[in-house]
Amino acid sequence: MANRALYEEDIGAIQTVLKGLLDTCYAQGALLVDNAGQLILNAGTTPDFDLHAFASLVAADFAANSELARLLGEDSFSTLVHQGGRENLYLTRVNPRVILAAVYDKRTSLGLVRLRVKRCVSELRECFQRLFDRRQQSIADVPMFDPALVHGLESELERAFGQQ
Amino acid sequence: MALVNYFSREIQFKVVYYGPGLGGKTTNLTYIHAHTPPQYRGNLVSLKTQEERTLFFDFLPVSLGEVGGYRARFHLYTVPGQMIYQASRRVILQGVDGVVFVADSSPDRQDGNRASLRDLVRTLDAHKLPLRGLPLVYQWNKRDVPGALPVERLAGVLNPWGRPAFPSVAVSGEGVMETVKGALRAVLHAFQEEAAAQPPAPMAESQVRA
Repeated sequence: MANRALYEEDIGAIQTVLKGLLDTCYAQGALLVDNAGQLILNAGTTPDFDLHAFASLVAADFAANSELARLLGEDSFSTLVHQGGRENLYLTRVNPRVILAAVYDKRTSLGLVRLRVKRCVSELRECFQRLFDRRQQSIADVPMFDPALVHGLESELERAFGQQ
Repeated sequence: MALVNYFSREIQFKVVYYGPGLGGKTTNLTYIHAHTPPQYRGNLVSLKTQEERTLFFDFLPVSLGEVGGYRARFHLYTVPGQMIYQASRRVILQGVDGVVFVADSSPDRQDGNRASLRDLVRTLDAHKLPLRGLPLVYQWNKRDVPGALPVERLAGVLNPWGRPAFPSVAVSGEGVMETVKGALRAVLHAFQEEAAAQPPAPMAESQVRA
């Protein structure tokens, strides 16, 4: 199980980039999702839907389209656009592990979103490269994985799933 | 692979329910969703066919209470069991931290069980996730069907590694909660063991206390 960690300074740098994207293309929200469907970060207006379900669907959507691309002889489809009656979704790959999802409406245009996302992706790649270059040995610092605290989590498991 | 977010103080894990078609994977998640207090779980997302068969996946987020200042989140998925959906299963298994293999105890479903297990091993290999290091628990489901095979026989064929196993009748909920607790416990312990095996890291700026 190879694990990944996000430090506060990583988050800060990434949030700055995402905020810049929202400010310049007038999108409502931006999410970063990993290939496994885990939500890495979101920025912008807090949506009224389940962010974690959204993240899982974004990753699955992107992965399914990547498989379609391969069937067609393409390496991948690097970008997906979903246009609705009010809300739209722009998905693009940041790096092999991370997907950017931008939620926008009629206050902006696909062209502007596409233009700003391109610059944003370049900046995000630099952020993630710094992150991945750092030694991933922080897991031992997570206090919850002291055996005594694992016991606390197991108690929580009983509370969550103990009733039938 | 687990995602540790020091900023939000969350650790996210991915657990996938795997197994042959109509074996009870979706039934497990449906039961967990219906019988878990809302503060511990989100909504169940199901992508399925008109015939109510899983088309892509089911998804149920589970969040435990805060412990030691951190919150553990488990994202539970099922895969479609029908053999034609192999590409979908490959997608869903990406980044998995633990697997629940839901086997069908019906005497006429053993070929399906074996094929599904072979498919699991093959797909994990494709993702460079050796089964040896991955938390895996078994559920011997449908213990109530006439002629259900003895668990010893199921284990002999499907569980040569001696991983934890739980008998169940998922439609009634029997064994469902025991299975999910067993799986999540295995994931936590594996994560803890991996953390214990790592050398101390230099403190990151965000971890320095003023």
